Amino acid sequence: MATHAPPMSRATAKRLNAWLRGRAKPVRAALLGAVTAGSCGGLLLVAQAWALARIVDGVVTRHLGLAATWPWLWALLGIFAARALAGVASERLAFAAAAGAKQTLRRELHAKLASLGTSSVQGQASGALAALLTDGLDKLDQYYSAYLPQAALAMFIPAALLAFAFPADWVSGLIMLASAPLIPLFMVIVGKGAEQLNQRQWRRLARMSAHFFDVIEGLTTLKLFNASRIEARIVERMSDEYRHSVMAVLRVAFLSALVLEFFATLSIAMIAVYIGFRLYYGEMSLLPGFYVLLLAPEFYRPLRAMGTQHHARMEAVAAAEQIVALLETPAPERLSTQGKLPDARIRMISLEGVDFSYRSGQPVLRGIDLTLKQGERVALIGPSGGGKSTLARLLLGLATPDAGRIVVDGVDLRGIDPQGWFARVAWLPQAPTIFHGSIAENLRLAKPDATETELRAAAEAAGAAGFIERLPRGYDSLVGEHGQGLSGGEIRRLALARALLKDADLLILDEADASLDAAAAAAVNHAVATQTRDRAVLVIAHRLESVADADRIVVLADGRVVETGTPAELRARPGAYAAALAAYGGAA
Amino acid sequence: MSDMWRLLKLLRGEWRWGLAGVGLSAVVSLANTALLGLSGWFIAAMALAGHGGPMIEYFTPAAAIRGLAILRTVGRYLERLVTHDATFRLLTRLRVWFYTRLEPLAPARLQQYRSGDLLSRIRADIDSLETFYLRVFVPGAAALIATPLMGAFLAWISPRVAGVDMVGLALAGVAVPLLAQRLGHRPGGEAVALRGRLTADIADLTRGFAELTVDQALASQMARCEETGVAQLGAQRRLAGIGAAGSVLGGLVAQLSLWLVLLLTLPLADGERLSGPDIAMLGLLVLASFEITAPLPAAFKALGEIMAAARRIFEIADAVPATRDPARPEAAPRRFDVRVDGLTLRYGEGQPNVLEHLSFHVPQGGCLGIVGPSGAGKTSLLNVLLRFLEFQSGAVEIGGVPLGALEGETVRGLCAVVAQRTHLFNTSIRENLLVARPNATDAELHEALRQAALLNEVRAMPEGLETIVGEGGRNLSGGQARRIAIARAVLKDAPILLLDEPTEGLDAHSEQAVLEALTRLMRHRTTLLVTHRPQALRLADKVLNLGVCYGTSPP
Repeated sequence: MATHAPPMSRATAKRLNAWLRGRAKPVRAALLGAVTAGSCGGLLLVAQAWALARIVDGVVTRHLGLAATWPWLWALLGIFAARALAGVASERLAFAAAAGAKQTLRRELHAKLASLGTSSVQGQASGALAALLTDGLDKLDQYYSAYLPQAALAMFIPAALLAFAFPADWVSGLIMLASAPLIPLFMVIVGKGAEQLNQRQWRRLARMSAHFFDVIEGLTTLKLFNASRIEARIVERMSDEYRHSVMAVLRVAFLSALVLEFFATLSIAMIAVYIGFRLYYGEMSLLPGFYVLLLAPEFYRPLRAMGTQHHARMEAVAAAEQIVALLETPAPERLSTQGKLPDARIRMISLEGVDFSYRSGQPVLRGIDLTLKQGERVALIGPSGGGKSTLARLLLGLATPDAGRIVVDGVDLRGIDPQGWFARVAWLPQAPTIFHGSIAENLRLAKPDATETELRAAAEAAGAAGFIERLPRGYDSLVGEHGQGLSGGEIRRLALARALLKDADLLILDEADASLDAAAAAAVNHAVATQTRDRAVLVIAHRLESVADADRIVVLADGRVVETGTPAELRARPGAYAAALAAYGGAA
Repeated sequence: MSDMWRLLKLLRGEWRWGLAGVGLSAVVSLANTALLGLSGWFIAAMALAGHGGPMIEYFTPAAAIRGLAILRTVGRYLERLVTHDATFRLLTRLRVWFYTRLEPLAPARLQQYRSGDLLSRIRADIDSLETFYLRVFVPGAAALIATPLMGAFLAWISPRVAGVDMVGLALAGVAVPLLAQRLGHRPGGEAVALRGRLTADIADLTRGFAELTVDQALASQMARCEETGVAQLGAQRRLAGIGAAGSVLGGLVAQLSLWLVLLLTLPLADGERLSGPDIAMLGLLVLASFEITAPLPAAFKALGEIMAAARRIFEIADAVPATRDPARPEAAPRRFDVRVDGLTLRYGEGQPNVLEHLSFHVPQGGCLGIVGPSGAGKTSLLNVLLRFLEFQSGAVEIGGVPLGALEGETVRGLCAVVAQRTHLFNTSIRENLLVARPNATDAELHEALRQAALLNEVRAMPEGLETIVGEGGRNLSGGQARRIAIARAVLKDAPILLLDEPTEGLDAHSEQAVLEALTRLMRHRTTLLVTHRPQALRLADKVLNLGVCYGTSPP
């Protein structure tokens, strides 16, 4: 995904962090519960230290035996049990908070996608969007289940411990108080400097891994050029170079962690030595001394733990950047959708002077005039990149013209309720998707109540019945990601059957007969023609031979209609079609 | 267990760094434990002295406390440096090892793994193996070193305390994690499976977004994703619950060990068999000793994943290459006609024949077109000629030399291939061309592009030859990618050309451009052309229909 993204500005990171915190509101109760349970655990720690100090003080200075110590031993057991309960409760509630936050966010993202329509999901972006909806959301888990509660505890527990340590020994309390701010300070340094370097190194590592796997994928190609053995040395060299550069960075990056630990550990040692000497000179008794000694490491522990949570926060902020960007994308404006389509079959669809571009300044379609009539089979041909598939998207209502309009039986398409229009169109895309599920489920996508007979008829017409029936479980065979592997040709035939099954007024077929041999293609073309006699059909073709029996051919090049007419007319006329046909050797 | 042994053997090459990391890790955890224990003793002893007890020499322990604090922090720094360095060293070794094992297997042996999407699996598995040292080996080995030392020291003072501590460490470090892992096995498997389903459902949603919109099935697909998401969270909740219970239980074991130690040592204080400071030290030592085994639960969890990954990686690495080079290879032939006589090929024992008694002869400079339905073995025939596949019977000769007498590299040096799918590396057009001739000059590259009818298009790109083609060549059109393959073939300048559906899937204009380029390339070269495009077949002198043979001269 965004491997070359520039580092985020501080303001952006701050804003995203605030957004992430805001998202915690719906799960505040669970978070609060997790923090409360964690705080109870912290207070129990104080009690445990006190009990332990009492026992040690008893045996060392007052020479108490086991019998006199029993009450404190029982108290210790009780404290252990309570700490265990608090620990389990805290983890459970933190998980519930993260789960709740994730679930609401997923629902919101879905709603946003639905309102944005297909403009948000196009072509190569689909993989990135899928990653956002899976990995991106997962990266928030740690933020809500670990980072946020830890951040609260890192404030509360040291403060509480300090409050309990001061009355026992104010000097030790002062040492802790003085050294504590140094730790967040160094964490900031770690966060600003080294972490950024770290990120850059991780990106390099990702790039190096990508190279390694690119090489593995291209192994056959390398072997064909007898270059595969050299590549082993390149892999070795790249990894070694990476190691050298990353270690140079880590030596510095770990240094700030070293300073961080050094302060915490040295403070504890100082407290121990200092208390020791005061005890020696009788300025203090063992009970508070030992008690403070036990509290000291616990004082630094949550602060140090924050350091490890830092990464979770960085990851969440990075993921949030993309999520927020998606959620803040303005939805396209919709005109009032009062236009009503007649219940009968649509008779005529026309494009009137339609312009369209995905990015301003790069027109894809320019001044297109085109009419499709009921019962007519129109073929759209032309070089790839000429705008054929874009024209199909406009007709399907997946995009709206920048200028000009599309008129359906006298009504502007923009004024028709999109759902009402989608019910009237069927589409075989150039790269159809097979959904995870059974073949029957895939066919029934647009017509959930289709009968067995209808399924079979559609599959038959699309030339798919043969291979479906050869599968061990026929129409119940699982296909898609984890199911039966289908060949490219089989996928197209299945998607064609899906399009035919939907009883639509307008059928748009993007290369219906690709990857079929000549005889099979003819059979499919014939079957489609008989099935769709009373509908309008737009066939997009890259090959000239498959459009010879169309009622009308429209040649699209550079976003304009350059020629239109019956196949016979176009053959006779010295234009682009005839030229292409001649270059082709008259195969059609 | 043998997988584990092999994994360790892979680490052997970097044993110095590896063991240094383990040693430092053990030192750090022992220093940490000693620091707390000594502090406890020191305070108690000083208090005793302050209360009129025996005087002590306090200078040494006070210095030792500071020394241990420094040892701990500096040791930790060195440990992190050394273990990371070792990890990267091992990463290099692992990748090179795996690559050299994989290289002879491509492409024939790797095809059988295709079904499960080999590449993404290898990727995840290698990533997982690379963490073995840092996540499993270091904490495991360090605990194995530090625990006995700890036990020995405790036993020197009180064997019973040592016994309690060792049992506690074994419970917290081994038994509890194993128990948690066992309990987590089922929800873990469910979580992984549901995660896979969620990924598939979401991929369906984003990839099929336009179709779902048109077919008015968007809402139902989204509902399906949400449902799977909720189910996955349920499995994760159970798993997290078990994990939390495990870590709490581990903590409880540590606390109970401390409690038992107090119970055992307090009576000893009465008879002066143990001093008060010793008891304080023992208690704190035992409590702190559990930091030695603290990383073990995570290590056990990682170990399960890593061993599963290792099993799959070893399975691939152990596959036997499909062809074996002759012990005494012949020199490359000087003529380049191709003769196939009674060739029979099947993929394995008991499998049906893919090719049966196939015979043909292509004279030097001739072009044989090969047609046939899919699955007729057209591509397999080319793979036999490239020495990617061994055949069962019959004879294949290039320039009168039997194919089996030639090294694979020699054969592949004679052949240039243009296939329907050619891998483009995610780098510049220049680098992609240089694969075919590493020392080619700019003039040669331009000439090759010109012959492949691609020069003008490349010149029109803002970055020209330096244009990055993207992952799998996605920044280029299908026709452009195909013509890069042709330009590579031009650069390779081999006497034999193998064309595997070179124009399939291209639009009419691209097909025309590719055919023109191929016509130039085929001049004076022996060509085998697999295609079912009639336009392409016109380039062939003769046509071989696999299954039915016509138009070829009898061998």
